[in-house]
Amino acid sequence: MVSERLKRIILQALQLEDFDMQDETTASMVPGWDSLSHVRVIIAIEESYGIRFKTLEVIRLKNVGELQRMIAAKSG
Amino acid sequence: MMIDTLLDGKETISDCWRSIAERAPNKEAVVHYVAGEEPYRWTWGEILRVSSLYARALKDHGIRKGDICAIIIRHHKDFYPIYMGISALGALPAVLAYPNSRLHPDKFRQGLEGMVKRSGLDYVLTEKDLGPVVDPMVSGTGSTIRAVLYPLEWSLGGEAGESLPSTIGVGGDAPCLLQHSSGTTGLQKAVVLTHRAVLEHMRRYGRAIAIREDDKVVSWLPLYHDMGLIAAFYLPLTLGIPLVQLDPFEWVSAPVILLEAISSEKGTLSWLPNFAFNLLADRCREEDLDGIRLDSLRMVVNCSEPVRAESHEKFLRRYAPFGFRKEALAACYAMAETTFAATQTTPGRNAKQIFVAREDLSAGVVRLARPGEPGRACISSGAPISGCELRILDDDGNALPENRVGEIAIRSVSLFDGYRNNPEKTEEVLKDGWYFSGDYGLLHAGEYYIIGRKKDLIILAGKNIYPEDIEDVVGKVEGVLPGRVVAFGVEDDITGTEQICVVAESQADGEAEKKKLRMEIVQAGMGMDVTISNVYLAPPRWLIKSSAGKPARKANMERSITELKAQ
Repeated sequence: MVSERLKRIILQALQLEDFDMQDETTASMVPGWDSLSHVRVIIAIEESYGIRFKTLEVIRLKNVGELQRMIAAKSG
Repeated sequence: MMIDTLLDGKETISDCWRSIAERAPNKEAVVHYVAGEEPYRWTWGEILRVSSLYARALKDHGIRKGDICAIIIRHHKDFYPIYMGISALGALPAVLAYPNSRLHPDKFRQGLEGMVKRSGLDYVLTEKDLGPVVDPMVSGTGSTIRAVLYPLEWSLGGEAGESLPSTIGVGGDAPCLLQHSSGTTGLQKAVVLTHRAVLEHMRRYGRAIAIREDDKVVSWLPLYHDMGLIAAFYLPLTLGIPLVQLDPFEWVSAPVILLEAISSEKGTLSWLPNFAFNLLADRCREEDLDGIRLDSLRMVVNCSEPVRAESHEKFLRRYAPFGFRKEALAACYAMAETTFAATQTTPGRNAKQIFVAREDLSAGVVRLARPGEPGRACISSGAPISGCELRILDDDGNALPENRVGEIAIRSVSLFDGYRNNPEKTEEVLKDGWYFSGDYGLLHAGEYYIIGRKKDLIILAGKNIYPEDIEDVVGKVEGVLPGRVVAFGVEDDITGTEQICVVAESQADGEAEKKKLRMEIVQAGMGMDVTISNVYLAPPRWLIKSSAGKPARKANMERSITELKAQ
């Protein structure tokens, strides 16, 4: 399940008003979430949760669900 | 010794490869870099051995001299020997972009069909994953494709000692490779270059950057683009210097890996489009830079997008503490039509900057700004490389003197001889041996500065996008008045590239309906892998028409920017 908090951070980083996000949602499905804005989204998440992703984790991320689980693991 | 003597007496690219492998079989040819893994290191002896195995297998599949072979393969260590194997048979490799997940399969298929039509692709070499999309094209009407091959699935076997086929019967005048300009639908233009043109360019461009035996190229650039293919792939491989090749998809997710590779491999040369300077300066975290050293870099060449002064400044500020030297900030002006470079800044000296009075510049005249006067910082792309001549022309095609802005025309020994199967487009740009670039620039103190574009091309993160392609797709969105769309690029200082804006006429009423339509337009862009940053919905008959009855891009761009500012 994608939390409202994560969804808001992503939407804000992409300057999007709203977009439905599920676990299976990939960046390519979300308007504005392209390779150039990807780093912006990741940094926004890191700042908000006070966590850090490793380079390889960022490269290998598959979808929003995975992102959510990784945040949980790091914040826990 | 100039290392370009390696090219002496060589007629074809594979002659060069063979000779390097004979002289230095244990020298590194390509370091195939994958984030988080030990890089795969191809020596010259080994890469040629495997290339010869691929050449034999490709020949068994029917590939012959002169055949055009599209390669659509992601970052893979066998990409290089496959490419070299095709070339050794005297066939023409043509690298095409592997579709990313954003691109709709139909759009990818249409793009490929356009290329088949224009370029007459004979074979497609790709990965199994693309089979369902590409396979049906073999039997498609009018298709020239004879077979789709999956070379990564082959077990090559092969005896030791097999050598790269000698390209008997292939001379310097034979075509060597085919490159496509961007454009996603029917607008691709294919450029075919001969072995001689490429080798000649390697010699001359190599001299322009004072290439040395101890140079090492580090690149994340995709190889379907001239900057990646010619500067970062052919140049090192024909002159026998190592290439460290990164995955473009990985790089864009984690730009820091380029710096890691430069640091660990002690890279000396890299080519980057302007946006990459911004991305690297803004998006690498301090802790990821731990241990990074950039002292080895002698040139980072900014090219294929307008060079922006702020991008150089912020890159230098960010990386000077890591050993990056100001004099390594270089630039060049290059395009596929001239094989690659037309101009290059001087090695060992940072690209010059001039501060030009804005008021005079808008009237096409260059005058250095007085202190306090509003001005624009322009970065030099350098002087013409040998064998290349540039002119600045007014609207009537008359040559302009120094310090005047006009269209750049180029004459070069490495000039292409036309777009393949496209005499109309060729005629538009090639006149009396001069290539009309469609770029605006000026000559100042012996160096050329590129400051704008005559054509409506959008360059987003180094990628050329035709506004027509976007307009076509957006025009089909339900609710948009057909044919009443313009797309254009607007400079974005933060990313150091352009942002795509669309103005579409519509009868949509009420905020909810408009919001929905705007989203659908953005999604239509996504389907062709283009990020539309701003959508303006205008009422019917808002767009200004040109004399031909079509919406005029420039006038509408100015109008929408003015009106939006006023809001």
